[in-house]
Amino acid sequence: MEYFLFLVSSGLVVGATYGLVGMGFAIIYKATGIVNFAQGELLMLTAYIAFSLASSLSLSLVPLMIVTIPIAMVIGIVLERVFIRPMLGEPLFSIVMVTIGLAVILRGVTIMIWGPDPHEFPTGLSTQVVLIGPVPFYQVQLYGLATLAAVTLAAWAFFRFTRLGIAMRAVAANEGAAMLMGIEVSRIHMIAWALAAAVAALAGILFASMFKLGPTIWFEGLRSFPAVILGGLDSVLGAALGGLVVGLIENLAQGYIGQGLREIAGFVVIVVILMLRPYGLFGAREIERV
Amino acid sequence: MKKTLRMTLLAVGAALMLPAMAAAEPGVSDTEIRIGDVNILTGPASFIGQAVSVGSKVAAAEINAAGGINGRKIVMKTEDDGYVPSRSFQALKKLLEVDDIFALNGTSGTANVLAMMPLITKANLPTVVTTAPNELVYNPVRPSVFTIGASYEASFYAQLKYIHEKLAPKGAVYGLIRQDDDFGVAVEKGYERAIKEFGLKDGIRLRYKKGQADFAAEAVQMKAAGVQVLANGAIIAQAATVLKETRKLGMDLQVADVWSEIMPPSAKLLAPAGYSYLIGDYIAAMADPAAVKWMEKFKPYMTEADIAAVNRYTFITYAGLKIMAKAMEACGKDLTRACTVENLRKIKNFDTQGLTAPVSFDNERQLGGTAIKVYQINLADQSFKALTDYQEY
Repeated sequence: MEYFLFLVSSGLVVGATYGLVGMGFAIIYKATGIVNFAQGELLMLTAYIAFSLASSLSLSLVPLMIVTIPIAMVIGIVLERVFIRPMLGEPLFSIVMVTIGLAVILRGVTIMIWGPDPHEFPTGLSTQVVLIGPVPFYQVQLYGLATLAAVTLAAWAFFRFTRLGIAMRAVAANEGAAMLMGIEVSRIHMIAWALAAAVAALAGILFASMFKLGPTIWFEGLRSFPAVILGGLDSVLGAALGGLVVGLIENLAQGYIGQGLREIAGFVVIVVILMLRPYGLFGAREIERV
Repeated sequence: MKKTLRMTLLAVGAALMLPAMAAAEPGVSDTEIRIGDVNILTGPASFIGQAVSVGSKVAAAEINAAGGINGRKIVMKTEDDGYVPSRSFQALKKLLEVDDIFALNGTSGTANVLAMMPLITKANLPTVVTTAPNELVYNPVRPSVFTIGASYEASFYAQLKYIHEKLAPKGAVYGLIRQDDDFGVAVEKGYERAIKEFGLKDGIRLRYKKGQADFAAEAVQMKAAGVQVLANGAIIAQAATVLKETRKLGMDLQVADVWSEIMPPSAKLLAPAGYSYLIGDYIAAMADPAAVKWMEKFKPYMTEADIAAVNRYTFITYAGLKIMAKAMEACGKDLTRACTVENLRKIKNFDTQGLTAPVSFDNERQLGGTAIKVYQINLADQSFKALTDYQEY
């Protein structure tokens, strides 16, 4: 039983980071219809910025998140204005290619500025183990789980109760109709990028704190992609849940089935679920009238 | 008239041919010898290439300050391959065809050397491989290729032998985690050899895909298997995460690690887990007297950035170029690639001043400097203390 609980707890911890990254993908897709392949690099850049802030200002985890979020949002807005806005109206494929190019640029620039060495991320948190029942956690891992819960709740409230959130849902549902209803679509796109960057910053800080900050951290974006597919590309809350499910499946597969199945198991479940529900667990079904 | 014209043309032709014949050996002029260096100067592994470049630069500066090779100065020509084998091939092609190099010292990773091998073989290019001591590089033997360094197999065997004899409790359970590639296979060979030779309890063997970040499940598996001695074949950030997770589960371990974990950025990542881990390396650690002496001697030749870039790869590449220089020097004024290769083959007990064990290439594999020192980290200052002298395993 202890073995099972250890695997479940570690699966949830890593799943929380997948979920946060996945939410970033989903926010942009929901508002703009674009899969942002630079989401992992956005995480990387903001994590390195947070690292510099934490090192120079000696900030602990929560203040660091609070300081980094607005910086990340500005970065998101700038990237949207410079790289994505000029592409409005162009074929979707071209816009996606721009995000791929953006990913390469962000990766290169980050390594150029901070160098290739990996770093221990200074969180100011204790490295003492916290026991919940028989299950050990590092403090930062509990922060990770709590952050996912808080962001998920905030996202649910934002999309359900705020004018901006409802406007974003309207744009996602029908951009043309939303525009006719007086919603400024380009502003919605900009806000989506800002929010996605903020979530990426949280994911980056937590991931670097739990594991290490290194030049391959961008890969977390791709690693989290199955979570967002599982949850539904246009479902922000689904991405969060998808992250937890993928994290759990990976760890249980590694622990019970055998090595090498960690990566495969997650994808097997995704294939099965997508065959049953092509839009993911929580994705909206598109109905076309002919 | 016709005869005079023919004679004149022959004379002019001969006159034009003479300097060309004198400079027939690529990369060699009356005043300089151009040596190439293909390395990883960009990307996540660029700390290797930068260190390599410093090693070559310092060795060239020292040789040139002492009058060069029979009056010819060494000029280094460095190309970046970003750790991408196809780029290594292009880089060497450029060095051969544009920069006109005579020899190659420092050669990126294993796959990169193998990508360059057709060009090296075709040009009979004297090559000292300093950063990829992999069996694939020296087996089969390529006539102009000489390799310095021990295998990962020997490194892990040396550490596990030391742990078995000096540190582990009797009947301890051993475990392995390694990357799912050639490098990991080499690590497992060393583990396997130790398990068989010393009759150790083999608790668990785990493989992971390159790029994996989370090792919590693997740590749980190791705990369930009762592992007390861990052969940690993960590298740098991954090695640190493995130890962080085993520490979280309260595992008391003796740990053998990959030699990359002797470098300061790595040690800084691994040390917080609190394991006094071992390393088996064929190159002197930074705190080793040989390395300290080297740093004191060559600080004036280096910039601040160079000093910051120095690590084990600097020492080994420095040694590589010094060996190459000795082989070239023995050719006298008539320096040729064939002669240099011949003299490299005669290298015996070359003294690297303790940066490695004495290097000999006069063996079937043209492989030297394979003896290993076992080091242990001092967690307080993250320096490494030698537990053994250089030994062959």
